[in-house]
Amino acid sequence: MPRTTIYVSPRSLGSHDQRPPAVVTTDLARLFAGRPALAGVSLTVEPGRAIALLGPNGAGKTTLLRILSTALRPSYGSGQVDGLDLGRDVDAIRPRIAYLSHATGLYDDLTARENLAFAATMLATPDAEVRVDRALEDVGLIGRRRDLVRTFSAGMRKRLALARILLGEASLVLLDEPMAALDDEAMSLVQQLLGAWREVGVTVLVAAHSIERLESHLDGRVIMERGLVTAVAGNGVTSHAPAPLVAGHPLTVTR
Amino acid sequence: MTALRYEARLALAIAAKDARAEMRGRQAVVSTLFFAAVVLLLFGFALGPDRARLAEAAPGLLWLALVFAGVLAVSRLHLIETDDGALEQLALYPVPRRAIYAGKALAGLAVMAVLGLVVLGAVAVLFGTSIGSAIVPLLATLMLGVVGIAAVGTFYAGLTVRLRAREVMLPLLMLPILAPLLLGAVKATAAALAGDPFGELGAWLQLLVAFDVIMLTAGLATYGYLLEDG
Amino acid sequence: MKTRILGWVAFVAVAVMALVALFLVPADLNQGDAQRIMYPHVASAWLAYLSFGVTALAGIGWLWRRDIRFDSVALSGAEIGVMFTAFAIWGGMMWGRPVWGVFWQWEDPRLTTTAVLLALYAGYLLLRRLTDDPERRATRAAIVGIVAAVDIPIVHFSVEWWRGLHQTATIGSPDKILNPAAPVPFVLTLVGMVLAFTLTWTYLMIRRYQLAQADLGREESARVERIMEARAAEATR
Repeated sequence: MPRTTIYVSPRSLGSHDQRPPAVVTTDLARLFAGRPALAGVSLTVEPGRAIALLGPNGAGKTTLLRILSTALRPSYGSGQVDGLDLGRDVDAIRPRIAYLSHATGLYDDLTARENLAFAATMLATPDAEVRVDRALEDVGLIGRRRDLVRTFSAGMRKRLALARILLGEASLVLLDEPMAALDDEAMSLVQQLLGAWREVGVTVLVAAHSIERLESHLDGRVIMERGLVTAVAGNGVTSHAPAPLVAGHPLTVTR
Repeated sequence: MTALRYEARLALAIAAKDARAEMRGRQAVVSTLFFAAVVLLLFGFALGPDRARLAEAAPGLLWLALVFAGVLAVSRLHLIETDDGALEQLALYPVPRRAIYAGKALAGLAVMAVLGLVVLGAVAVLFGTSIGSAIVPLLATLMLGVVGIAAVGTFYAGLTVRLRAREVMLPLLMLPILAPLLLGAVKATAAALAGDPFGELGAWLQLLVAFDVIMLTAGLATYGYLLEDG
Repeated sequence: MKTRILGWVAFVAVAVMALVALFLVPADLNQGDAQRIMYPHVASAWLAYLSFGVTALAGIGWLWRRDIRFDSVALSGAEIGVMFTAFAIWGGMMWGRPVWGVFWQWEDPRLTTTAVLLALYAGYLLLRRLTDDPERRATRAAIVGIVAAVDIPIVHFSVEWWRGLHQTATIGSPDKILNPAAPVPFVLTLVGMVLAFTLTWTYLMIRRYQLAQADLGREESARVERIMEARAAEATR
């Protein structure tokens, strides 16, 4: 069972007014093999908020999260995280972001603890050993710490990936369909996490098909369809329509 | 901790992770060793049974076997990262790209070193070369050669791991680059075994050192570009 | 317009130099008429290496400035370069056969290095084909081009060392011609041929570059159109 309090390392992010918007995108677009996965998304997300990205498959939620995580470059448009540019300041942005994708990025032939220990070294987590064990406890996997990830169910892998996020000090957490493979028991884990992150002032973007269990933990919602934002609701997030795009010299249109 | 110590620590952690995953999982070292052994066996069939001819060809066969097996070995080490999107996650950590390359090249070097020693022994047995007093220069040549293979191989394996047709692209890209290393290593090995009658061993070893230094530098400088934009 | 003039000038220059090399300049005393192929062979080899250098430098330009035009230059250099490389190797073999008695001589650093160059070009061009996204393609190609370019001098040195230790016959070897004491007509013909070929190379590079840019422009327009379509579709719902 997950514990009742999750350890999220405190971070000095400044008060709400002092911080730049967590995310600003301007006309963000991305094509894959000529097909637009994002067709011009302009969003502004206030710091410290929890925002849901809703929409059917193919809406562009994953693509948007991947671009914000710096794993993918946009085809057009620009974006800033904490005021830093996604194109130019990638190295400065990476320590501030934690990303849970569909793929968990775990090594099958390592144990749960070894996976986290490796992540702790990469993230330069202080007191690594203590933090790793604490994170394992918090997600309810301490009993399986010596088992190879190869033996884990999809839900357990997701939980381990969430544990990895706890080792870092991200100010922006991007979760791509975190509930997709989770068992009931661990649903409350995500709710607890959202609560813990809010207390510390971390901004959270959650992509999902629907948000039934999470409504009370969210500040705002963005509805996406076919690569565009169709509606915005709640607090903490605004959007505007994309500006017209003009073909110019190849690849010199705004990037 | 100074920047260099930090990066070294990262590289060691990555190498250790690769070593651990390799030992438990895909048995890359074992299967690559068997592949090298089979290659040597086939060389014997193709060029034998004249022992004199085999002994003369031994340095070339040794390094051919190592280069071919090396392609497999570095490929396997990068395949670890295809576990559930591990490479993309690795690229997202706030660590210098150099350190990732160094770590993976180090793991590659460990595998290649083991491979090298075993293949050297196998060649000595199969093709009747007497090693004897040449052991020191032989080991030096072996180490310099496998460093080069690991340096080049790690780089190209990283490039091709996300590519279509990667099984053929990796050797196609890697092998022409290794041509001078192959030449130098074979010549140095032959010279060492013969007792260096013309005094050329030093020159060939220098070539290997130059190759290793240049390729490691190139790998350190450009591996980062491979990781971006997955 | 200027490019077209360049094209004609290059064509005429090559035609003139071909005639000169075939009929005007005297044959070599030792090698006879077979030696005449040296002129286009050496000229091609020079351009093969120049192209590769251009490709590598353009790759650096792309990584540094992220201007796709650099990549178009790199692509042009590779495609045109592979042509000249193949021709240089063929010429080398044609020259070698009557002079050495064999088509191939491993210790000839130029021939062997040029063969490795051809393999590197082939890898480079195949790699480009396997990536559709223009930026990713440019980045991957740039790295491969740079590492390959760095390798070429090493190959050349190693083969020279290889030869140096085996003292093969140099009498009548193609090298004899390319030394400072060579007769003036030979040198002039060679220089003329190199210039003519370089003009041709320049023309081909410009044309290929224009083609590459046009392709990119078309792709770009298609992409932008696709995006505007998606937006329009959404707006009318």
